[in-house]
Amino acid sequence: MSPTDPEAAPLPRKADWLLYLGATIVTVVTVLAVIGPYIGPYDPTLTTPRVAVPPPALSEIPGLLAGWIGGTLDHPPHWMGTDASGYDILSRVIAAPRTDLLIALSANLLSLAIGVFLGLIAGYFRNWATELLMRVSDVMQSFPVFISAMVLVALAGRSTANIVIALAFVYVPIYIRLTRAEVLSQTSRGFVEAARAIGQPELRIALRHVLPNSMTPALIQSSVTIGFAILLTAGLSFVGAGVRPPTPEWGLMISTGANQIILGEWWPSVFPGIAISLTVFGFAVLGNVLERRYEGS
Amino acid sequence: MLMRYIARRLLIGAAQLIGLTIAVFFLIRLLPADPVSRLVGMNASPEAYAQAAAQLGVDKPVLEQLAIYLGFKPDIAPGILQGTLGISWVTNTPILSEIAAYLPVTLELITLAFLVALLVSVPVGMLGALNPGGKADKGVFVYSLFAGSQPEFWWGLLFVYVFFYQLGIAPPPLGRLGPMTTPPDPVTGFMLIDTLLAGRPDKFVEALHHLMLPVAVLAFTLSGPIIKMVRQNMLRAMRSDFVLYANAVGLPRRRVARYALRAAMAPSMTLIGILYGFMLSGAVLVESVFSLGGIGQYAVRSVLAFDYPAIQGVVLVITAISLAVYLALDLIHAVIDPRIAH
Repeated sequence: MSPTDPEAAPLPRKADWLLYLGATIVTVVTVLAVIGPYIGPYDPTLTTPRVAVPPPALSEIPGLLAGWIGGTLDHPPHWMGTDASGYDILSRVIAAPRTDLLIALSANLLSLAIGVFLGLIAGYFRNWATELLMRVSDVMQSFPVFISAMVLVALAGRSTANIVIALAFVYVPIYIRLTRAEVLSQTSRGFVEAARAIGQPELRIALRHVLPNSMTPALIQSSVTIGFAILLTAGLSFVGAGVRPPTPEWGLMISTGANQIILGEWWPSVFPGIAISLTVFGFAVLGNVLERRYEGS
Repeated sequence: MLMRYIARRLLIGAAQLIGLTIAVFFLIRLLPADPVSRLVGMNASPEAYAQAAAQLGVDKPVLEQLAIYLGFKPDIAPGILQGTLGISWVTNTPILSEIAAYLPVTLELITLAFLVALLVSVPVGMLGALNPGGKADKGVFVYSLFAGSQPEFWWGLLFVYVFFYQLGIAPPPLGRLGPMTTPPDPVTGFMLIDTLLAGRPDKFVEALHHLMLPVAVLAFTLSGPIIKMVRQNMLRAMRSDFVLYANAVGLPRRRVARYALRAAMAPSMTLIGILYGFMLSGAVLVESVFSLGGIGQYAVRSVLAFDYPAIQGVVLVITAISLAVYLALDLIHAVIDPRIAH
């Protein structure tokens, strides 16, 4: 597109605060996925004797902070309160990225690897077999996403590995489609003909020359997919077809707090929800800004 | 030409449905789950287990089970060809009648949510597109990204806390009507229509009141992708030659925008159709939060109870509806724009 293209104009290349926002959120969540389970004041999988403690009021925070630093408290403060079983919510909220991000990243990598490979084959070698592959992928894509993920997890067993496989199954067709479209636009380019002219084997051309030039859309889509995978993981937990308690996972935390919210106990659900909301937004922003830059260039 | 296009599309759709039915049938049975022990319990005697397996028909070879399910052996049990989707393993009721009871709830919910979302999104998306790159456009872009990436079940809970617990202006999230209200006779299954048919405007208002929060939550999350799409299509339309011409002859800005909107809505309809199909099962979490008892909740219940015929039925019906919606939209499109049918 030309520089005067209004669709490319809205986001200039330099000083893009949205890009920084997305990158910051993604970085924080990634760091928490590594160290989160160790830095919280309590063990995220052990209960405390204090049940359903609300978070401290704003006016109490300075006193608590002073006492905490001075070591005069008999136990570390529950900054986000505790839930109906006595888990410390802050410790669990910062431990959860280990679960959520690990599932989302693995599912994305798995579907990306399979989808890009199949998409390359389907776009480069066009015959009845790859045509069949595309029809199968069509049928897979017309499955209702949430229900198929739920069926796979609930029937195969609620383990982390099964959740990863279920999510990957749901996302593979998207990557096949994206990569195939890009491969189709690349195969008529000069470098492919050049490689063919000097007698390189077709498979080698596909893997060495077409593949690296066709991966960008799929890689950009990754950021968005990871975000949605986190949403789906949380949603599965919410209906009881996700990870098992007491694994720290945002959706599970919201789900255990859901029954109390009618009674006014908002904190067990609200804090993990804010975490999901910001995290998925961060991944979506990063993906969309990158996509715009790619299309705008 | 149009008739041939329709026939071709129907044929492809039917092939897709058959493929899907068979795929779901085998996929479920490939998973390492034991529905029989789920139904009779872990400690059942081998005789009780065998009897239950025989009753469900899972002791037969898989291909024979498939043939029965598809309806090629009506002497054993009626199947899809006979117009049934089988009998639920858990409730022993025909699955078609169960789905017929749950589906209207979801259709009512998401149709209202789409109407609200469209009413909000079209002007907002236009606002962004009329001045691309401006402050308003950036705000619209960030909002659409935010709304499109939210955990809707959490927003549902948040709305319940604020509007029910704190402000007291919403009913408790416990169904489609208050616990003391007797529901009207189900004629269409749509609560809003049935209450009116029964001549009870008070119950109509009550049903609307109970739908207020779930519709608001869904409309909010739907507004994200819809705004993004309206904005994009509007930008494309604003760049086309007829808009350039309209501007050149000095037509008022409002009128040009109206022309551009009409051109932008045609491609938008396709995406709205895809979103609608997605929401049939995508509304499940909001249905759960507000205990509405829609098709999504029926799916959750069936999956957690290992009720295979019910799972197959739900997937089949939802996919069939989505395919029908796509087809209808494409047909409208083809009528408007004859180039498509060629």
